[in-house]
Amino acid sequence: MASWSYLPQLLTSGITLGAVYALVALGFVTIIRASQIINFAQGEFVMLGGVITFFLLKGANLPYPVAILLAILIVIFIGFLFHLLVIYPLRKTSVLILIIGTLGASIFLSSTSGLLFGTLPKALPPLSGHQSLQVGGMTFLPQNLWVLGFSLLLLIVLYFLSHRTFLGKAMEASATDPLGADLLGISRTLMVFLSFGVSAGIGAIAGILITPIFFTSYNSGTLLGLKGFIAAVLGGWGKNNGAILGGFVLGVLESLSLAFIPSGYKDAVAFVILLIILYFRPKGILGSPFMDSRRW
Amino acid sequence: MVDLKKEEYRKRDLLYVVPFWLLSLIVPDAEDLYSYKRKDFKRRDLFYLGALLLFPLIWNDLHVHHVMVLAGIYAILALGLSLFLGYAGQISLGHAAFFGIGVYTTAILTTRYALPSIVAFWASAATAGVAAYLIGRPILKLKGYFLAIATLGFGEIFLVMVKESHTLTGGVSGIFGIPWFSVAGFTFDTYLKQYYLTWGVLVGLLIFSKNLIRSKVGRDLLTISTSEEAAASMGMNVPQIKTWAFVVSGTFAGFAGSLFASTLSIASPETFSLGFSLFIIMMVIIGGMGNLYGPVVGSILLTWLMDFLGRYQEWSLPIYGVILILLLIFFPDGIGTRLGIRLIYLIGYIPKKRRREEKKG
Repeated sequence: MASWSYLPQLLTSGITLGAVYALVALGFVTIIRASQIINFAQGEFVMLGGVITFFLLKGANLPYPVAILLAILIVIFIGFLFHLLVIYPLRKTSVLILIIGTLGASIFLSSTSGLLFGTLPKALPPLSGHQSLQVGGMTFLPQNLWVLGFSLLLLIVLYFLSHRTFLGKAMEASATDPLGADLLGISRTLMVFLSFGVSAGIGAIAGILITPIFFTSYNSGTLLGLKGFIAAVLGGWGKNNGAILGGFVLGVLESLSLAFIPSGYKDAVAFVILLIILYFRPKGILGSPFMDSRRW
Repeated sequence: MVDLKKEEYRKRDLLYVVPFWLLSLIVPDAEDLYSYKRKDFKRRDLFYLGALLLFPLIWNDLHVHHVMVLAGIYAILALGLSLFLGYAGQISLGHAAFFGIGVYTTAILTTRYALPSIVAFWASAATAGVAAYLIGRPILKLKGYFLAIATLGFGEIFLVMVKESHTLTGGVSGIFGIPWFSVAGFTFDTYLKQYYLTWGVLVGLLIFSKNLIRSKVGRDLLTISTSEEAAASMGMNVPQIKTWAFVVSGTFAGFAGSLFASTLSIASPETFSLGFSLFIIMMVIIGGMGNLYGPVVGSILLTWLMDFLGRYQEWSLPIYGVILILLLIFFPDGIGTRLGIRLIYLIGYIPKKRRREEKKG
C-alpha cells in the first residue's frame, strides 16, 4: 500500500506543512518565554489573520499590502485586548482556570468570526504567481517558499528580540524567575501584555501566509493551534529554534504518514506523536530552558 | 477572618441578600464533607431528595423533563470528573472521550447485538473504566499543563478514530435507533421515567462518592491534590492512586454515556469534541471544586444556560464564550463558595449597621 514514488512529493508538502506549524509554534513559544502561560487561543489568531485579510481585500477592496498590514495590526490589537480582558483578570488563578479561560476565549473568537465574516472557507490569492516550480522531480508553489522564508525571517527576528534586546531579556526573566524580575523592577504584567501582542502578530502573519495554500474557515483555528502547540512541545518547550524544528519534524512525519495509513487518520498522527514525546522526553528534542531533567 | 473594613460593605449588597440566603440553603459548605463526624444523612439531604422527587411532578412540562434528564446525565459526568479534578487535583481535558466510549458501547451492543440495555449499561461503565486504566497508566506520571495536553491529545485521537472506523461506529453520521433503557420488562420510555432513572443513578453514585472520599482513598486523594511530593514522602504510591481516581471518574463517564445514548437514541461523534470536555469542566468549576454537590448544581445551571442560549441560534456560542469567561473571572472557585463568603460579610453587615445608627440617634 505504501507507494514510494510519492515520497518526494509528500516530503515537500510535509516541509510546507511543517513551516506552517513552525510559525504557529513560534507564537506559543513567545508567550511561554514571557509568562509560562499556554494560550489555547493561538490558533484563533492564525485564523483571524487569514480571515480579516480576506475581508479587507474582498470586502473593503483595499490593495493587498495594505490589507496585510492592517490585518496584522488588527490582530495585534485583538491580542492586546485578549490579554487585558482574559489573561490579566485571571493572572492569579490556577493553571486549570487559565486553560479553560483561553479555551473559552477561543470559542468566542472562532464563533464571532464565523458570525461576522461568514462560515465559508476563504482563500487568498498567493503573494506571487500561481506558476508552480519544478525542482528535481518535485513540484511546489512559490507560496511555499514565502512560508519557508518568513518562518526563517521570524526566527531571526525573534532571536534578536530575545537575545540582543533589553526587552527580550526582561520578558525571559519574568517567566524564569518571577520574584527576581519583580525585584529588578521589571513590570511582569507589561511583559506578558507585550508578548501577547507579539504572539498575535506572529499568528496573523502565519494565517496570511497559509490562507493561499490551505483554506481558512472560522473553525480551522483550533486544530491548527493544537498542532502548533504539539510542534512547540516536540521541538523543545520554550525554545524558538525548537519550535521551528518541531514544526518541520511534525509536518514531515504527518505528511509521510499519508503514504502508510488512510488519510482520515492524519489528524490523529500528531496527537500520537504528542503522547509519545510527553511520555519519553517531555522536554522535547532540543531540551527546554524551563524544565529540568525530572519528569513533569 | 480578615479584618473587615467599612468600605467592604456596600449598600448594593443588600440587593442580593435574598438570593444569597436561598442559595446558602441549597449549596452546602465544603467543610461538612471534610469533617470526620459521621453524619451521612442529614435533614438537608432529605430536603434535596424530596425536591428531586417532586420537581418533575410540580413542573410537568416535557421540555423541562428533557432538560433535567440531560442535566442529570451531565451531573453524573461532572461528579466523576470532580473526583479527579476537585479531589485529586488533576486536570483532564479528554473526559468527553470516556463519555463517548460509554455512548458507543451502549449503541453498538444494543443495536448490533440486541443485548438488554442493563447489560449494555454495565458494559459501558466497564469499557470506559478499562480505557481509563489503559490511558491513565502512562499519562498520569505527567503534571499540570502537560497532563492537560496529554488528555486533550487522547480526546482528539478518540474523536478521529470514531469518525474513521465506519464499520464499527458508523463514521460521521453515527448510530441511530438506540432503544430506551429497559430493565426486567419495564421500559423507561418517557422523559419523566428517564428523569427518575437518571437521577436515581446519580443519587446512587453520589452516595458511593461520599463514602469514597471519606475512606482512606479519599484522604489520599486530598493529600495528593495538596502536594504530590508530600504524599510520595508519606509512602503513597502517587501514580497508582491517581490512576484509580481516573478509572473511577472514567467509569462514571461510562454510566453517563450509556444513559445519554438511551435517552437521545443517537450516537454521533460531534458530541464528544473538545468543547464538550470544556463544558464538563465548567460544571465542576462553577459548582465549586472539592464539593460533591457542586458539580450537580453546576450541571443544572449550565444545562439550563445552554438551553436558554439555544434560542439565540448562531449567537449562542459567542454569548456562551463571554459568560464562561465572566464566570471564571468572578467565580473562579465556584458560585457557591464565592456567594458563601459574601453571605458572611452581609450577615455581619446588617446588625452592625443598625448598631451604628442607634449610636448616632
